[in-house]
Amino acid sequence: NSALDAAVPAGEPPAALHDAMRYALLAGGKRVRPALCLAACVVSGGREAWAMAPAAAVEMVHTMSLVHDDLPCMDDDDLRRGKATCHVVYGEPIAVLAGDALLALAFEHMASVDSYPPDVDPAKHAARVVRSIGELARCIGSEGLVAGQVVDLEMTGSTETVPLDRLEYIHLHKTAALLEASVVIGAIIGGGSEEQIERLRKYARSIGLLFQVVDDILDVTKSSEELGKTAGKDLASDKTTYPKLLGLEKSREFAEKLLSDAKEQLADFDKEKAAPLLYLANYIAYRQN
Amino acid sequence: MALSSLFVSLPLPIPRPPSTSKSSRFLPIRASPAAAATASPSFDLRRYWTSLISEVEGELDAAMPIRPPESIHNAMRHAVLPGAGKEGAAKRAPPVLCVAACELLGAPRAAALPTAAALEMLHAASLVHDDLPCFDAAPTRRGRPSTHAAYGTDMAVLAGDALFPLAYTHVISRTPSPDPVSHAVLLRVLAELARTVGSTGMAAGQFLDLAGASALGEAEVMQVLTKKFGEMAECSAACGAMLGGAGPDEEAALRRYGRTIGVLYELVDDMRSASGNGKMRSNASVLRSLGMDRALGIVEELKAQAKTEADRFGDKYGDRVLPLYSFVDYAVERGFELQDAATAKL
Repeated sequence: NSALDAAVPAGEPPAALHDAMRYALLAGGKRVRPALCLAACVVSGGREAWAMAPAAAVEMVHTMSLVHDDLPCMDDDDLRRGKATCHVVYGEPIAVLAGDALLALAFEHMASVDSYPPDVDPAKHAARVVRSIGELARCIGSEGLVAGQVVDLEMTGSTETVPLDRLEYIHLHKTAALLEASVVIGAIIGGGSEEQIERLRKYARSIGLLFQVVDDILDVTKSSEELGKTAGKDLASDKTTYPKLLGLEKSREFAEKLLSDAKEQLADFDKEKAAPLLYLANYIAYRQN
Repeated sequence: MALSSLFVSLPLPIPRPPSTSKSSRFLPIRASPAAAATASPSFDLRRYWTSLISEVEGELDAAMPIRPPESIHNAMRHAVLPGAGKEGAAKRAPPVLCVAACELLGAPRAAALPTAAALEMLHAASLVHDDLPCFDAAPTRRGRPSTHAAYGTDMAVLAGDALFPLAYTHVISRTPSPDPVSHAVLLRVLAELARTVGSTGMAAGQFLDLAGASALGEAEVMQVLTKKFGEMAECSAACGAMLGGAGPDEEAALRRYGRTIGVLYELVDDMRSASGNGKMRSNASVLRSLGMDRALGIVEELKAQAKTEADRFGDKYGDRVLPLYSFVDYAVERGFELQDAATAKL
């Protein structure tokens, strides 16, 4: 949180734009993506500090996607994490710009030499960062995060029930892609081998899907107060969810399977260093909001 | 001389003040094709610009194949690529400036082309968001429906969101690196691109414009022009400089040159629109706030500044500096229409 706080200048003009960025970015939240990025860096042989800038960057990208997602022309949400959404507080145009600026800041922050501690490997660091930026950009673009949002939008208007493979496509892109980027970037910056990077990529895809399955389950089993956002919204909007397609019990079984798949990918890593990733997988599976 | 009376009494383009060819080392630069033919072997800006536009558009076309989900890729292509016929032809000033700065330093064009294409993607992304109903609510752009008018507001937001990262992906995957462009230079270019579209650059300009800086004084209006247009041109020149291997002094000079050209270009655009019936591209029109006299004064100041920066390169790089001079004159005179040239290849 303090890295994020330091990354967005407060008080620098234009003040209202920076206020809107900080409002969205510092609204709390579980910070799952930065945590994954840092943990993946350590498990791949790096130091946590090496991945602090990329970790902040993935959270900025995540925040930006939420700000744009909440806009009236998209999901039209008034409430996020128990607080009024960015466009409700600052107006639509500033919310669009704040999102764009957060996206730009993520890349600027990642590409800047000043964002990294002096003890990174001077011979390899620049190449690793270039590759990481490419990975982040690919995961959030028209073949990643945005692809998931597009297909989701196209499905929302339709009265047909979304088939399972389509639902999985949406979640793999909308949610898992950025989790994948977070983990893979951490592994690259940490100096992981190609094999380690690919194992962690599979781990991230599993927990990404797991994240969404659990989200769907929570939506039907918890109240708005417990979630910090409008509960039962999926049902009310007739959105296709895992419980709706598979039933609640089968959804829970599917979640268990995804969790064990994710854990399997961690088997060959140093147990102690992999502990945070194991913890995060369990956390995503068993969280209550 | 009362420049304002000259301006209103003569047809556009704005007349060039007499005796501009002060340097005997360079032939006078003529931007119009007819003049270029007679002044041979002077630099032919029209040919240079036209050939670069087709190369940049080739890059852009290849960078955005239509693949699933098709709707978003169609919307992205709509935002960046020109339509068939004359509609949608863009002058592509940022990429041309980027390549010219790189080539000035003697580096291969291939080093700068991916970044040149990326500049267009970033530029297009910000225009797509700028046209949204909650901003300018522009129904058309470059003579065609704007992206939200053609594909819906939600798709336009997402198309912009996808174009930003595509720009970075494109630079990383297509720039010849680590040779001749090192990874460290590539990172500087990426940071420069991101900073330029960010909260202290173009987004700040859009924000200030939104806040209605036209009601304010000269300093505020110039700030909007600098943020919205000057910084993009500065970024183009600076990226070209880095990719071409510029030293710190050369990079700084090209930055100043780029920023000046960007503001100059936009200012003249506003003046031409105000005299004709075109739409103001910036809400903070200099004319509305400052009046035509002061605007003309600023044009002359900017022109002199840009030429001073270009002069620094004359001794060292000889004729390769010619594109830089020609942009200055072109920005003011608009001696030819690039639409014809750009669509001739289609």
